[in-house]
Amino acid sequence: MESLMNWLQAQLADNSIFTLQTLSYYGDGLVTTIQLVFLSLIIGLVLAVPLAIGRGSRHAWVRLPIFFYCYVFRGTPLLVQLYLIYYGVVFVEGIQDTWLWVILEKPFVPALVAFTLNTGAYTTEIFRGAIKSTPKGEIEAARAYGMSWSLMLRRIVLPSAFRRALPAYGNEVIFMLHASAIASVVTIMDLTGAARFVYARFYAPFDAFLFVAAIYLCLTFTIIYFFRHLEKRLLAHLKPASG
Amino acid sequence: MADTPIPLEVRNITKRFGDTEVLKGLSLKAHKGDVITLIGASGSGKSTFLRCMNLLEQPNEGELIVHGESIRFKEAKHGREPADWKQVVNMRAKLSMVFQSFNLWAHMTLLENVIEAPIHVLGKSKREAIDHARELLERVGLGERADYYPAQLSGGQQQRGAIARALAMDPEVMLFDEPTSALDPELVGDVLKVMRDLAEEGRTMIVVTHEMAFARDVSTQVIYLHQGQVEEAGPPDQVLGNPNSERLKQFLAPKH
Repeated sequence: MESLMNWLQAQLADNSIFTLQTLSYYGDGLVTTIQLVFLSLIIGLVLAVPLAIGRGSRHAWVRLPIFFYCYVFRGTPLLVQLYLIYYGVVFVEGIQDTWLWVILEKPFVPALVAFTLNTGAYTTEIFRGAIKSTPKGEIEAARAYGMSWSLMLRRIVLPSAFRRALPAYGNEVIFMLHASAIASVVTIMDLTGAARFVYARFYAPFDAFLFVAAIYLCLTFTIIYFFRHLEKRLLAHLKPASG
Repeated sequence: MADTPIPLEVRNITKRFGDTEVLKGLSLKAHKGDVITLIGASGSGKSTFLRCMNLLEQPNEGELIVHGESIRFKEAKHGREPADWKQVVNMRAKLSMVFQSFNLWAHMTLLENVIEAPIHVLGKSKREAIDHARELLERVGLGERADYYPAQLSGGQQQRGAIARALAMDPEVMLFDEPTSALDPELVGDVLKVMRDLAEEGRTMIVVTHEMAFARDVSTQVIYLHQGQVEEAGPPDQVLGNPNSERLKQFLAPKH
């Protein structure tokens, strides 16, 4: 570990921008970005599954609010949603006196809420499409073999829909990673926040942003690789015999 | 025979789609070991009739008695519907269906397809279900293909797999909805052979089909439907060999 540090210091000796100090900003930013994106994706996913099922409900009072939620969050810019939630909560009467203010005062939670609601809306639509395109015959077979609605959902419809949704959901994950860059506008020191800081400090746009772009590329590559691996395993049933 | 309840009886089934009445009071009684073939031109209502038997279609009127148990209905906004879905689920587990387009679950291997309902609907243990499934797949000639996905199999193999899935339920009655109509001609024979074997071992079957040779050789009763009504019914040598109805004569006449 120490020799690695020495090596790194030697490498960094002849440049004034990428010092251990600034690299630690990028490092912290990386951690923040991953936390923000990962948490919002997980919570958004958990939200999206029941919402996607409800989105296809026979009852209008279940279906319509979900439709409205998806429509609003897909129909407005994420940045505007973030502004509304981050700047908006301050104006909620009396919120500054409650325990909630301790977490809402910092930008992380409002950003997490905005991102979660946003990805939740997109993921709901992705899953709904996948659920809707379940082959009718497979549903009929499930009914004919005595499955109840919930059993059919659990064993046939959802497993089949998740697999079909995988490629589209992989895109949503990448989109979310890139969209998270706007967290920096509400003072979060995520990856882009760190890059902005370094840029402002040294007035070196290329160094600051190319470096961060490279980190995003690495993250994206990891995500693509992960989903490709997942697709290979879970979409094996779509491959023809010769493949 | 007298003690065991009749596996399936339907009385006076009617079915309307909008204003058109597609089934006009059809009845049928399947005793143990019966193989009843439903024939008729397309649009005669034979598939709809079959689908009413396990309530994939809701009949507007009529009675349905499975293994001595009458299905209860209630009036609802959009017409009649079953009063107790649990009863329907139990009933369906006793009647297993083989579809024209196979309808295997695409995300499961053949083996998983066969063990799915026995485990999750009948509550069998996994071990038991797998042993039974392997036996059945062997029987339909797919022992080697247990771990293939449906998309990796030919139509004939898929349909034989679907028959194995139906058999795994130990059904009282098997319903076949044009099981060979979606198959290439050279694949029909294998599927029919499996069905003949089932008939020989005394399975109760109701088969909608266009395969007249199968109807003649295997059935105990043939029902010819025309526009939602029974035009002629009886043992195969009478209905197919010496029909009374003009329409049936035309229907049976060689087309080329």
